Amino acid sequence: MIVTDVLVIGAGPAGSSAAKHAALNGAEVLMIDKKSEIGAPKRCGEGVSKEGLKKLRIEPNPRWVTKELSGVRMVSPNGTDVVLDDEKVKLPEAGYILERKVFDKYMAMDAGRAGVQIMIKTLATGIERDGDGIIVYAEHMGYSLKIQTKIVIAADGPESRVGRWAGLKTSMKPKNMESCAQFEMVNVEMEEPDCIEFHFGSVAPGGYAWIFPKGDDIANVGLGILNTVTDKTAYQHLLEFVDQCPATQNAQPVELNIGGDPVGGLIKELLADNILVVGDAAGMVNPLTGGGIASGMTGGLIAGEVAAKAIKNNDWSAKGMEEYKNRCQEEIGDSFKKYLKAKDYMLSLTDEELNTIAEAFRDSDFESINTTELLKKLVKISPKALLKLGKLF
Amino acid sequence: MIVKEWCMYCGECAGLCPRNLIEVRETSLIFHEEGCKDCRICIQICPVEALEK
Repeated sequence: MIVTDVLVIGAGPAGSSAAKHAALNGAEVLMIDKKSEIGAPKRCGEGVSKEGLKKLRIEPNPRWVTKELSGVRMVSPNGTDVVLDDEKVKLPEAGYILERKVFDKYMAMDAGRAGVQIMIKTLATGIERDGDGIIVYAEHMGYSLKIQTKIVIAADGPESRVGRWAGLKTSMKPKNMESCAQFEMVNVEMEEPDCIEFHFGSVAPGGYAWIFPKGDDIANVGLGILNTVTDKTAYQHLLEFVDQCPATQNAQPVELNIGGDPVGGLIKELLADNILVVGDAAGMVNPLTGGGIASGMTGGLIAGEVAAKAIKNNDWSAKGMEEYKNRCQEEIGDSFKKYLKAKDYMLSLTDEELNTIAEAFRDSDFESINTTELLKKLVKISPKALLKLGKLF
Repeated sequence: MIVKEWCMYCGECAGLCPRNLIEVRETSLIFHEEGCKDCRICIQICPVEALEK
């Protein structure tokens, strides 16, 4: 039997952040991951905001930053583009493109340096309450393990089972799970190689397509769709996108990534007695952009601090750890509400409306334009689109 | 459930299974089919059509 104060299940960025901060605040921490290599395979576009990393006090490192971005290029269904410069407009996800396989490992190493015990190739298979603690059953290289812990931090990704074993409603509904497919490609010819690129409309029903440059002629080319609004799979849509997009006419894939991205906002129940849920498992993903690295790590930081405090106070009941819910809501959930509305608005627009809006805003100086002027412009070019906006707010 | 050879073990099916019956391992999927109500969400949402009843 292994005994620990805090067990973190899942060593993605959120899990590593939780483990590190619990250890830094005095708890004895074990982190397990089912994979043989932390960070692989990646399931992500690899974009992270500068502001997000700064808030987490993580210095960008050339080992895992592949590209610094200067803006965003948004492309409507007919190819009309609007380019937003990072220096002029504050953009939520513009920042860096990472090498996740290195970044995730680096974050886990950070946790290890903070005193966290790490076990890889270790799969949690069940939990059982044991007095005021928890027994987690696990498998490691053919052996069965029992881990006795006071607190479990569930960082087991969008496929999370741990939260549900504890009675929390962490399962996602299909309308809140973007189904994603992505190639890492070479020979990608981008119009703005320093910008991340978003393609909107029927190219990715219920979501959007992206091209995230990784330096030279390499880029992540992917998309997310909602299965509730299309009969095709994410992979089929990706093949069509690559076939049609001017930037990928000569591109060749070197990697395929797929997976779900929970975009429904924070789950309602983030904790129970002995349990905190973080990262993708908790819906800590920006509903508009699908980005979840910084928000997941922020949730991890909060979970780590709260868990360590609970150990010090000898109270790991849901009530004793309630601070976790409040801080997550304040630091993550509140901003997600506005992104959810923005996402709903984007998804309500037809290809034609998206084209009209892109054409109208194509040459706008976003630095000097204010909200009233934006709305005036919108009413002029597409009253229907404005009406849809009005219904949401 | 038949898991096709090209399954990438991404776990999207597990996240959406309303009954929490799918266990995602590094290179395998385990379906605890005894509790399955045949909703077929897992089949419908698989990004690469790797599941078949």
